[in-house]
Amino acid sequence: MAAVTPSRSAEGSGTPPLDRGSRSEARRSAGGGDPFDLFQIPPAFELDLEELGRRHRELSRALHPDRYVGRPAAERREALGRAIEVNEAWRVLRDPARRAEVLLQRLGVPTGEESNPPARPEFLMEMMERRESLRALGRAGDLAGVEALSEEVRGQERELLRELGEGFRRALETPEAPVPATLSLRLGELRYLRRFFDEADAFLSD
Amino acid sequence: MSYSNKVIEHYENPRNVGTLDKEDPQVGTGLVGAPACGDVMRLQIKVNDDGVIEDARFKTFGCGSAIASSSLATEWIKGKTVAEAEALKNSQIAEELSLPPVKIHCSVLAEDAIKSAIEDYRQKKAARAALEGTAPTALEGTDS
Repeated sequence: MAAVTPSRSAEGSGTPPLDRGSRSEARRSAGGGDPFDLFQIPPAFELDLEELGRRHRELSRALHPDRYVGRPAAERREALGRAIEVNEAWRVLRDPARRAEVLLQRLGVPTGEESNPPARPEFLMEMMERRESLRALGRAGDLAGVEALSEEVRGQERELLRELGEGFRRALETPEAPVPATLSLRLGELRYLRRFFDEADAFLSD
Repeated sequence: MSYSNKVIEHYENPRNVGTLDKEDPQVGTGLVGAPACGDVMRLQIKVNDDGVIEDARFKTFGCGSAIASSSLATEWIKGKTVAEAEALKNSQIAEELSLPPVKIHCSVLAEDAIKSAIEDYRQKKAARAALEGTAPTALEGTDS
């Protein structure tokens, strides 16, 4: 399948020592291979999650312990290990922030704590104001207000996801071009919004 | 992961929560965030004419360690000079609160917030000086 080839071809020529195999092996033992490779789909930010959900169920069924009854222990262990990986990959793929992280890593962009670019001051200012409003509304028990503010932030999130989708599409199509720093910036912004929703959801579920 | 007693103490009893007037020329405002986790922190200082921080306030949306780090930071810098506050290191905060390695970034955030508040204060002061300085400079300019 074409899906698996990019990871191989991305190695380019003449870089044998740090080969893909040993790296993904190391990652696998640390708890998960590349989720796109596992699902055998081309790397992309915009995914059909329904289709991917079906694929996840298919893979899970194929690896289900019931199908390995009576098989050698090593084989059963292997299937179980793969099933765990597939579940973890599914969690990563359906989460936009984690998906973006994996894609950045594939594009060779570091995603560690230290490598995140600082947010734009005007973004932080807006975020601070929204968190303050949210808390005031939530503490006052104004759930309609919490809902309305959340809707506003959801609009902002949709716009962010659209930008990330477009940015990743371009970056993955032209692997030779430098990866724009805006992708890491947008990923950071997505995480700030996530924390907003965590708090909003906590108010709404009380 | 468990929080240390000092973190819990600051979390349940945060010092100096609140806002100072950011338009006040004596107030410096620092606004920082942690893109890795989405925490946001605002720290403000009010500096008197002797260069001493007479008041400090913060507001943090984040985990217990981030709240405790900023609470402790405001407590420590109050009564200190701007230069002394500037010398405060995140490691001192991390040590005082016994932060585990995964929470060190919270103390970094607090240090950044202090530095950014000081920078804001200095910029305001410089802008004001430049504004007040224009008249005398123009007069002196006629001499040469």
